[in-house]
Amino acid sequence: MEFVNPEGLRLDGRRPMEMRQLRAEIGVVSKADGSAVFEMGNTKVIAAVYGPREVQNRSQQSNDEALVRCEYSMANFSTGDRMRKPKGDRRSTEISMVIRQTMEACILTHLMPRSQIDIFVQVLQADGGTRSACINAATLALADAGIPMTDIVTSCSAGFLNGTPLLDLNYVEDSAGGPDVTVGILPKLDKVTLLQMDSKLQMETFETVMQLATEGCKAVASYIREVLLENTKQLESRRGV
Amino acid sequence: MVGLSLGEQTFIKGGIEQDLRTDGRKRLTYRPIFLETGIIPQASGSARVKLGATDVIASVKVELGKPNPSYPDKGKVSIYVDCSPTAEPSFQGRGGEELSTELSSALERCLLGGKSGAGTTYEHMTIRLRSLHIHLLQFLVSEFAPGAGIDLSSLCIVRGKKVCWDLYIDGLVVSSDGNMLDALGAAIKAALSNTVIPKVQVSANAPSDETPEVDVSDEEFLQFDTSGVPVIVTLTKVGGHYIVDATTEEESQMSSAVSVSINRLGRICGLTKRGGAGLHPTVVLDTISAAKHVSEQLMNKLDSEIAAAEACDEMES
Repeated sequence: MEFVNPEGLRLDGRRPMEMRQLRAEIGVVSKADGSAVFEMGNTKVIAAVYGPREVQNRSQQSNDEALVRCEYSMANFSTGDRMRKPKGDRRSTEISMVIRQTMEACILTHLMPRSQIDIFVQVLQADGGTRSACINAATLALADAGIPMTDIVTSCSAGFLNGTPLLDLNYVEDSAGGPDVTVGILPKLDKVTLLQMDSKLQMETFETVMQLATEGCKAVASYIREVLLENTKQLESRRGV
Repeated sequence: MVGLSLGEQTFIKGGIEQDLRTDGRKRLTYRPIFLETGIIPQASGSARVKLGATDVIASVKVELGKPNPSYPDKGKVSIYVDCSPTAEPSFQGRGGEELSTELSSALERCLLGGKSGAGTTYEHMTIRLRSLHIHLLQFLVSEFAPGAGIDLSSLCIVRGKKVCWDLYIDGLVVSSDGNMLDALGAAIKAALSNTVIPKVQVSANAPSDETPEVDVSDEEFLQFDTSGVPVIVTLTKVGGHYIVDATTEEESQMSSAVSVSINRLGRICGLTKRGGAGLHPTVVLDTISAAKHVSEQLMNKLDSEIAAAEACDEMES
């Protein structure tokens, strides 16, 4: 199947190095301490953060740092075929762990000992790149909750089909069986916190694809900063500053 | 949820006594309803309803299936509600399962008249209202229309053939601030108004015991008929009075709650009583008539919101 036609356009009309349209909104779940919606094309994800709060399970309490927990769940209607079991399956457990480790790396946990921070991510629509959308949404939600972090974490995926590196794969391109590299970075510190890859890739090509994904992450980072700045201006105006 | 102090509890109860609730509403006023349809493109129909801080999404998926052998000319509907942990941290893992099951079965009762969906809910009525006298029960039973709510025979494709439409209704609670049942009922009603069922051609040649060939059209669609779909009104008893659309704080002070589902014709499609306190039969009748009164306003509001949302959709597409 042809994923990049001779004119250089992908199945949805994008260029190989073009990301899908990003859209973010902060403060959607009023009951949560922080929440955000993040859309990458047709992938739509809601993240809610509850914390820092008292640890529910005393045995897991840590005296030096905060406990970070994360749960990833997909809605029944998020994929094309109706899913039977929204949570508890292996893929969800793995992604929950991945998001938890990525966010734990950037939260200043030593500032909040004996407390717990819960990050809940709910996928409303899945069209490829859900992992990245979840991490981006979680970053915004943590910022909305006012939890201290060393830097924001942004994530993006890239692949390699028909001999071309492609940025931000959607579901059709992802299920084509080609490689899928997901990268999560701390943009200001220029450090990689998440790196995962499916399938196989040649060493030189891998460097190109990872570089492309990192560029995508930086583009997401500048968008997230804009959104946070806009949000802060709104908060200021509401407080009459 | 953080516990309420004695002062806060007294404030809530006192306010309700004086017809002035904590957020300024009267006892029988709903919070502002915000409705959006067609938000899930891959579903046959979908809607999102925000009732104050309560936020729910409903999606309807239509698939071909085999009818129940006992009801060969009716389709099937299954309702499943999922409580997302984004609404409450306690819904994490399997924590939300109990509430999900309660909401799913309450909705099945209210919208389908029971699990099979094909009969009336006489049996459910006798189980729910233990303290009723016999003449009261007969009065209530006469209000029940057989097969009220979602009309399953409209889901039959061809009588006698072994194909029908299966409707999968999925609800997701994104944010909860009380009164989830009403919000879910409204979202399902809106999602059903938004649902399109593809036109099918059934091959007439196949013998009646085999599954016939069905040709599903990609272009022609039929709008699902929602004139009989009811709305759910929950009346929560706090102190000596009933309130409509309780928030989580008000629900924590409730002694009992009655949820009534009423359709446009004023027919009761289902009834559920929750809470430990017993109710005198006349009180139950009062609540039902209060619910009927409130449901008219709610029905009109929902219908106008749904029409506005659909018009918005059409303009965009």
